[in-house]
Amino acid sequence: MNDLQIHSKITSMEIDVLQALHQRTLEKYTAGPSIDRARLFFLLLPFFDGKQWSDDMEDSAKTVAIVYAALHAHDQVEEDSPISKSQQLTVLAGDFYSGIYYQMLSNTNNIKLIQLLASGIIGVSEKKASLYETTIMPVAGIESAAEVIETELLKVFYDYYGCSQYSAIAKPALEYVYFSNQLDSFRNGVETNILRKLNLALPLPLYSERWLLDKLDSLHNELTKALDVHPMDFNLKNFMLHQITPHQHLAEQLTREG
Amino acid sequence: MEKVKLKLLYSELRPELDKIEKELEVAVGSNSLLLNEASLHLLQAGGKRIRPVFVLLAGKFGDYNVDVMKQVAVPLELIHMASLVHDDVIDDSEMRRGQTTVKAQWNNSVAMYTGDFILARALEYITVIEDPKIHDILSKTMIEVCRGEIIQIEDKYKLDQTVRDYLRRIKRKTALLISSSCELGATVSGTDAETAARLRRFGYFIGMSFQITDDILDFTSSDEELGKPAGSDFIQGNITLPVLFARKDPLIYKKLKEAVGKDMTDSERLEIVELIRTSPALMEAKSLSDQYLNKALKELVLLPKGNANKTMRNIALFIGKRKF
Repeated sequence: MNDLQIHSKITSMEIDVLQALHQRTLEKYTAGPSIDRARLFFLLLPFFDGKQWSDDMEDSAKTVAIVYAALHAHDQVEEDSPISKSQQLTVLAGDFYSGIYYQMLSNTNNIKLIQLLASGIIGVSEKKASLYETTIMPVAGIESAAEVIETELLKVFYDYYGCSQYSAIAKPALEYVYFSNQLDSFRNGVETNILRKLNLALPLPLYSERWLLDKLDSLHNELTKALDVHPMDFNLKNFMLHQITPHQHLAEQLTREG
Repeated sequence: MEKVKLKLLYSELRPELDKIEKELEVAVGSNSLLLNEASLHLLQAGGKRIRPVFVLLAGKFGDYNVDVMKQVAVPLELIHMASLVHDDVIDDSEMRRGQTTVKAQWNNSVAMYTGDFILARALEYITVIEDPKIHDILSKTMIEVCRGEIIQIEDKYKLDQTVRDYLRRIKRKTALLISSSCELGATVSGTDAETAARLRRFGYFIGMSFQITDDILDFTSSDEELGKPAGSDFIQGNITLPVLFARKDPLIYKKLKEAVGKDMTDSERLEIVELIRTSPALMEAKSLSDQYLNKALKELVLLPKGNANKTMRNIALFIGKRKF
């Protein structure tokens, strides 16, 4: 499977998800559902890797993407008061998308998956809320929060369909994307919850950038090792390494800058 | 006081409701200290628990087993709680039921995650039931309730909307969840399809009457009784039935048009409230509420007689007469 075919399949799923979530008013006043292409790639990874792929799996993969969209919508609610019309509708968008995922899975009588995803959402919500607690969170706690927030629902999907082996690949890759975004925020002067917690956990806030760079290095190594032990098409591995987690090791960066 | 009176009407359900209350407490327990605290804060604010009451009462028309009924009653109340905590963000509300809201006590984000957590708990809970019909009813209801709220925001400040627009909106916003509570209670207890349909319609008519009454009380009650300024709906741009009826008078229409969406002073707000109070609009709205109430009572006449039927009738009559 070449890059074009991979992109095309991801786009096709993206369109299906957007269609399932179509709602005129929400589209007019909100940013619309966030469908992360890296996440779609990992939902489709068993398919790309040639594993037996049924319509049921494809539908369930779409619903997992919808759950992520629902939770992401609620991440976008700001603290402004009074809240704007667009923000009010963003609250409702998240609830609406949750209703859609529940309906889609109940239409296919996939009750067990509804239950497993609900348990996954509980874990994700708990970790997101933990970032608002006033206590200082150790670095390990921050790493654990990122892991659950990024990969828990995907893990539910893999486990449910007997594809648990892909978790070892998806985990470092999605965490890589997550911390890479945090690094961008840091460099742009945007303080996210994770950065706030990180600044408090490390002896000096200045250490955060270095910590993030080290983390990206270690996640990239973890991903490379996971790919080494997993027999997979070369193009697919390449796609992951170059399009999802394009990495430049810290040492390389320092050499270039030096 | 009114809440106490209402609770007395279904006092025979006390042991079952206590069981549900305990189950709700367990259900909102979380590994996150913050979510645990926020969810308990929400739960302890209390509430009429009217949805569980309707689930239990509807269940009495079938093969009643409280341990089965609670599998529906608990998640329905959780879904309602989740929607309240999100609604407080939407409405920027600081207080609910005399207590600070989660968004006021913590912040909007914590309120969002609390709502998501409670909703997920509801789904985790209800999926112990495998009957696809239950999930079909509930998922459709959740989507329609959201659509109702989306339309409510879209229709804000639109003085020229129709009464039909209003009715369609309150059907989704309020009546559906009560209607579904009755239908789910009936379905899970295995009543025949006709009984389930009658109970669903009863819930729908009661829900419509309940919401219209709520919208009337927003103008007739005092600030103290409401726990918020009278006319709050209008201030927030929610055009309710009393306003839609009152605007038929060209002079009132002109005043409303000038005031809608404007930052009103207290005296301007009270002037609008007084205009509505002294117009025939409240009587007209009451008459429509009564029509829904009568339809609800007619459904009960055709259902098997018994204690549940009697309690449902008393609740319906109470809703028609309640003062706040």
